[in-house]
Amino acid sequence: MIDVDVAVIGGGPAGLAAALSAYRNGAKNVWLLERNPELGGILPQCIHDGFGNFIFKEMLTGPEYAQRYIDEVKKTGITVKLNTMVLEMGPERLIAVNPKDGLLDIKAKAIILAMGCRERTRPQILIPGYRPAGIYTAGVAQRYINMEGVMPGKKVVILGSGDVGLIMARRFTLEGAKVEGVYEIMSNPGGLTRNIVQCLNDYDIPLHLSHTIVNIKGKKRVEEVTVAQVDSQMTPIKSTKRDISCDTLLLSVGLIPENELSKMADVAMDPITGGPVVDEAMETSVSGIFACGNVAHVHDLVDDVSKAGETAGKGAAEHISDKIKKRKVPVIVKGGRNIRYVVPQIIRNEDFDKRITFYLRVNDVEEDVKLVLLSGEKLLYKRKENVVKPPEMVRLTLLSKFLENVGNELTIEAQK
Amino acid sequence: MKKHRFVCIDCPLSCEVALTEEDGKILEIKNNRCKKGEEYAIAEFTNPVRILTTTVRVEGGILPVVPVRSKGHIPKKLIRECMRELAKVEANAPIKCGDMIYENILNTGIYIVSSRDLQEDEA
Amino acid sequence: MEDAKLKRKIEKLLNKEFSGIEVSIDDGIAHLSGELNSWNEVVELGHKVGKLEVEEVVNLVTAKEVKAERREKPGLKLPKKIYDPTLPKSADVVIIGGGVTGCFIARELSRYNLDIALLEKECDIGEGGTKSNSAQIHTGIGEHSGTLKKELCAKSWPLYEKISEELDVPYKKDGLLVVLTKDTLPKVPSFIANFVSRTIIAHVIKSKAKKVGDEPRIVKKEELMEMEPNLTDRALVAVLMPNYGIICPHRLTEALAENAVQNGASIFLDTEVIGISPNGEMKKVITTRGEIEAKFIVNAAGVYADKIAEMAGAKEFTIHPRKGSTLLFDKGVGDYVNHQISEMKLPQDPHTKGGAVLKTVDENINWGPTAIETADREDTSVTAEEIQSILKKYGSIIPNFSTNSLIAYFSGVRAPTYKEDFYIKPSKKVRGLINVAGIQSPGLTAAPLIAKMVADILKNGGLEMVEKESFNPIRKKSTVFEDLTLEEKEKLVGENPLYGNVVCRCEHVTEGEILDAIRSPIPALNVDAIKRRTRAGMGRCQGGFCGPRVAEILAREFDIPLEKVTKDGGGSELFVGKTKVSLMEGK
Repeated sequence: MIDVDVAVIGGGPAGLAAALSAYRNGAKNVWLLERNPELGGILPQCIHDGFGNFIFKEMLTGPEYAQRYIDEVKKTGITVKLNTMVLEMGPERLIAVNPKDGLLDIKAKAIILAMGCRERTRPQILIPGYRPAGIYTAGVAQRYINMEGVMPGKKVVILGSGDVGLIMARRFTLEGAKVEGVYEIMSNPGGLTRNIVQCLNDYDIPLHLSHTIVNIKGKKRVEEVTVAQVDSQMTPIKSTKRDISCDTLLLSVGLIPENELSKMADVAMDPITGGPVVDEAMETSVSGIFACGNVAHVHDLVDDVSKAGETAGKGAAEHISDKIKKRKVPVIVKGGRNIRYVVPQIIRNEDFDKRITFYLRVNDVEEDVKLVLLSGEKLLYKRKENVVKPPEMVRLTLLSKFLENVGNELTIEAQK
Repeated sequence: MKKHRFVCIDCPLSCEVALTEEDGKILEIKNNRCKKGEEYAIAEFTNPVRILTTTVRVEGGILPVVPVRSKGHIPKKLIRECMRELAKVEANAPIKCGDMIYENILNTGIYIVSSRDLQEDEA
Repeated sequence: MEDAKLKRKIEKLLNKEFSGIEVSIDDGIAHLSGELNSWNEVVELGHKVGKLEVEEVVNLVTAKEVKAERREKPGLKLPKKIYDPTLPKSADVVIIGGGVTGCFIARELSRYNLDIALLEKECDIGEGGTKSNSAQIHTGIGEHSGTLKKELCAKSWPLYEKISEELDVPYKKDGLLVVLTKDTLPKVPSFIANFVSRTIIAHVIKSKAKKVGDEPRIVKKEELMEMEPNLTDRALVAVLMPNYGIICPHRLTEALAENAVQNGASIFLDTEVIGISPNGEMKKVITTRGEIEAKFIVNAAGVYADKIAEMAGAKEFTIHPRKGSTLLFDKGVGDYVNHQISEMKLPQDPHTKGGAVLKTVDENINWGPTAIETADREDTSVTAEEIQSILKKYGSIIPNFSTNSLIAYFSGVRAPTYKEDFYIKPSKKVRGLINVAGIQSPGLTAAPLIAKMVADILKNGGLEMVEKESFNPIRKKSTVFEDLTLEEKEKLVGENPLYGNVVCRCEHVTEGEILDAIRSPIPALNVDAIKRRTRAGMGRCQGGFCGPRVAEILAREFDIPLEKVTKDGGGSELFVGKTKVSLMEGK
């Protein structure tokens, strides 16, 4: 059995930041377990720029952003275990394996979950048809093109307007493939406006909203897909069916937090975020297990993922040194009108830092709204927003003094 | 008179700024809710530029390609030409993040640099 | 019935319902030709003639709405670097088709001192109906009396205990609950229907199950809801058939093939038969990999069995493909039900047992399969209508089941003849050709006895069959890392570090296991074959993470560029080439 202070599962942006923060906040023996042969998680394949605007005040590419953290980790005494897969997990205990060390039986005073997320696949959106080669999720295609140097196809149809799909529309085009169009079942794009403009409009790639794919043809390799417009109930309209010849169908239809390990440790889950319920230190319902980054909820910006990692790392270090004084009754944080979810879902610490940041997503696009914090009927804080959109996460950072008189329940809502 | 439409990406409001011009001379800019929208439309109309990120082939590395970026903005209209130019390039491992890959691409004065460390393949 | 009389009887039917169709009778077999409007009419015609006293039906009637089948030109699908075996010049028995039936036959014949060559046109065994099989070991209760399939099924299921032990494949007897609900008799007033279900139907099912050797018992509602708390409360009563089992069809097929090879048989993948010609006492089998002389040919070609028979000069039956689609749910939900559950709906579809909520040996849940006639022998598409109908049908049996855990759906094609029974006999026309056709459900269950039957036919046909003393029925499965204890895992990784490299994170499949599959006696040559052997890519992310790594391992092992790696054989290449290439060509 190996005794460590903090074990971080996952060496992507959340895990890197969490390990560094735990170390810097006094945890002595920090282990960072990464499944891949290198650190960085998904970042090494995200070769486009746009990372780090908040943290480094620079527009970095994914690999550059990762490199900064990797270089920092190298300067510390953090133990990095690559090619290492965690097989089992319980409170304070991990079983992992890698080719070099064999089985690792780790006892950790605190564990930080930073496994990230996975892409939704075809069955989850029920596209009928054959199962040929040539159907890829956007992230898989991204890895192939940007890291393996191979082209998954020459003529591409993209379903879903999530950011990775938009980025890949541009990437395929730049590499000489033809992107026939992006089809989005919702009436609003799923990705950031910046990506619609710079990845689609720049290259005259059409975006078809309220459209979906209703059939895939081709027994060995994709030969054709059938697209159709959908009505307000999202049902395909028969008369609008159209066949498009292509060799590749790219899916960018959402991300799901990877929480199989969390469930193994009986961590309470939030059905809306798909991640564990966490408090403002990113601690889960199981004492000493923390969760951060896309494992907790899916982010749009890596900067926020790193921030969450920092919070979790600090929380883990403080958990070990027993610094945290917990409230007898935690504050439950709820989303009110037009709020899909809020993270953290609970506030548990007696005296949290000077600031607390809430991350939230709305259900619907709305202009000119007020984001308000309510404790019962009492207004604690308000902020004006020009517009709120489901794809763009809202960050609400406020000084702790606003929460001084909070009761046991806190509601955040968008008021018209 | 010609009309152009630019979706400003400066904030989530995504104003659809309308720009009217005649023979390249800007006559009117409207539908922007703040000054940034105007600046954005002017830049996009007069000289749109982009950061280029792509990969180049690598000899002897742990991966067959290495990601690269332009160290500065490149005129949008030259992006595809740059891609063709960079397709010819083959870099040699090991590579450090920030290493020069291509100097002064298409006489823009812009460097193309590597955006990650790439080790030699030991095997 | 004599041919002339039979002909008149069929003509009467044709005149009444299918004008313009011609019939001739040859040795008890009806041959139909002409054209009808739709494929459904063609199938209906075949079934109606099949019901008469014909031995089989050769239905060459075409449908106006169906375009001619587009078949790829035969040829080797795999580069030599990946696969390049040499066919022997001759064999005692050539088996055509590497599904579960062909592999069972190969294993059965490998008990004897014979040269056996099994030829499979696809790049892996079990690529046809086998891989999409519903995996049930039936007892035969669902089959019509007097059929060969009922007889073989009822005698075959008790053999599986031993077979699964010998071949080291998982087999579970969870039992089947046939549930009678308020929807069982939709056309009858409910108070009568409920009464009839409890008092009559349940007892009829019970007595039928007894006849096929099962030990059924009637389960009343209260106990039923205890046994299956998630069952619809529309359930009235059920009959439990404890001997209904499940097995993994492709693992079984793989084990059979391996055991056959272990005992001296040869198996050739990517080897398509393109001609058969008589050559004295021997028959010449012409394939995409060269020619092979055979004393006997066993035709176990599934949906292509009629085409193979025809190649040899024996038009004796026609296969009409019937598609079955299934939805597959993630492992985590396997304990949602404790038995296979099927809801009895009367009247029943005559050609299918109607599908069920099925468990797999890996604790997944399957819903299905459907049964849809199709003109295309390779129609493995799943239509929107099928998905919706499956969701509706089974969603009502276990109403609160979360369909979010759906991880895949797939379709397979059954290979029935128009008599809707197994057709296992020496060809009437071609000496030395044994047809093993019409193998549809319960073909998986019956396969052990089908194989024995084929051995007997060969013996009676004059093949000298001497049992080998060296025959070893035992085959051990290769390592499954996930199933080992921690101590075993530690020891294994110590011996071979590649077992410590977890490639598939959903199913915890290691590089060591993937290499075992690639290097096995029946090599896994593509991504799907590795998935079937090892489960890598079969989990909830469906190969999102491990797909690229499996492809890399295949490329490395076969020393081929990544763009030559296929999903499931030639034509299904994962990539179109390297990046940059089209840019340099200036396109």
